[in-house]
Amino acid sequence: MTLAQLSITVALLAGLGLVASRVGLSAIPAYLLAGLLLGPHEPEALSIVRPSEVTDFVAEIGLIFLLFFLGLEFTLGRIARSRGHVFFGGAIDVAVNGALGLLVGVAAFGLSFAAFILAAAIYVSSSAVTVKGLIDFRRLADDETDLVLAILVAEDIVIAVVLGFASGGGGGTAHTLAIVAKAIGFIAAALAISKWLSGPIDRLLDWLPREIFLLAAFAFLVGSAALAQELGLSEAVGALMAGVVLSGTSIREEIEERFFSFRDVFAALFFFVFGLSIDVGKAGSVAWLLALAVVLSLVGKIGGGYVSGLLGGYSRRQSLNVGVALVAHGEFTIILAQLVSGNPRISDATQVKIAAFAGLYVLITATLGVALMKESKAIGRWLFVDWRRDARRPA
Amino acid sequence: MPVDLRETRLPGIGTKFTFRLDDGGRLAVILHNDGVRELYFFRHSDDDEPKAVIRLDDDEARQLGAVIGGAYERPKIVEDLEMALGELLIEWEPVPETSPWIGKTLAESGFRAKTGITVIAILREPEPVTGAQPDDVIQHGDTLVTVGKAGQYGAFRKLLAGS
Repeated sequence: MTLAQLSITVALLAGLGLVASRVGLSAIPAYLLAGLLLGPHEPEALSIVRPSEVTDFVAEIGLIFLLFFLGLEFTLGRIARSRGHVFFGGAIDVAVNGALGLLVGVAAFGLSFAAFILAAAIYVSSSAVTVKGLIDFRRLADDETDLVLAILVAEDIVIAVVLGFASGGGGGTAHTLAIVAKAIGFIAAALAISKWLSGPIDRLLDWLPREIFLLAAFAFLVGSAALAQELGLSEAVGALMAGVVLSGTSIREEIEERFFSFRDVFAALFFFVFGLSIDVGKAGSVAWLLALAVVLSLVGKIGGGYVSGLLGGYSRRQSLNVGVALVAHGEFTIILAQLVSGNPRISDATQVKIAAFAGLYVLITATLGVALMKESKAIGRWLFVDWRRDARRPA
Repeated sequence: MPVDLRETRLPGIGTKFTFRLDDGGRLAVILHNDGVRELYFFRHSDDDEPKAVIRLDDDEARQLGAVIGGAYERPKIVEDLEMALGELLIEWEPVPETSPWIGKTLAESGFRAKTGITVIAILREPEPVTGAQPDDVIQHGDTLVTVGKAGQYGAFRKLLAGS
């Protein structure tokens, strides 16, 4: 990647990101689209950027920052406070959408590790797209928004474990189980550190001079990612847990402030570089898979959210809003596909297929999800006519 | 305090405060983690769509909060109340846990003699003391209702805390 290519890339990212925000879409699908357009695959006329060591490095840093920030938002206290919601909403979500995802996975790759990862990619909704929608469509004051956010928190917890073993699992069952156990151990250790050692870490970082502080936090982040990698886990879970450990300290806000600009630039480049690997030429081979996954996700997410809403005591209209808000997929689906592409135990053909599937699946569900979310209240009014209410207050 | 103020965490976004208004409406205030505040107003408490949404940055929100809280100009009725009291203030003073006067009577404390502040009532669970007498004993967790001049309260608080 030359400087000229980089400048065109970044300018295109900014342009598409702006267009996306104007039409009310998340920037994630826009960045993916940019990568898809400029990448080495179809359309050939625009192929100006080739994946290289530079783009891989940029994507790696982007991935680490993205997960570090997700981890920072992830304090134990916040999870403990919303326990009831997280439990039943999250349980229904994982049961329904995990099962439907596995169905697609098995249909594509047989009963295998790749099928399991595909299931996770189809299970996990996009926190980024959903939260943006909730803010843009003025849903924050709605009661059912609490349930939506609780389900997203539960998904984050489940997916943290999957991230741990996504890049190292596969091969034999025994090997995979060992990696899974290691991932759970790693996460448990990080949570324990976050709970009991945040005081000393806090004092140490506070004692450091300001100019060193940024470097120290960065060293800790990269070190944690490297440690996870040495253990045979993915760097993603290392970065996520670095965020979790620092989320309990008083310097969390300062870190967020100082690293914010890095995250935005590198996360954009991460999605862009992933977009480079999407081969639209392969779309034909994943078309039926995509169609199946999109239909099942619509059914599973809307249905699962609706049932959780009713069980949580929300009205039918509110419950519909819950389900619709979870349709969009995004960052985690892409991250999982990216981790799989570095997993030596998964064949190249499968990797290419998963990358093409994940990219197109996110483009479709993120667009569809946001459009549905915008109209979910109107759809609810149309589907569930509330006679009592209409009688009381005629329009 | 509003009767029905509810606080909810919005993970990844911030904190939400909701309360019902007397006229049947509902108001939600969202404190975003990045400092932005949003006010959602619903004409009827079970409305689907907010009637109005106001988005404020940190400075604007503080400014508005100060105006509504009465920092610039007090509503007429509050001014009238202050006129009636003239120079005198009525203050609610919680007794610090470490106060040396816990277990002593008001007479022993000598608040009025030493600072000019008069204790007129004591708020405590389960039964408040109205019309406090010199032989009433100060207890843990008490809040003293006092009358005095603004300038006398510094000395009073020092004495009450025992410093």
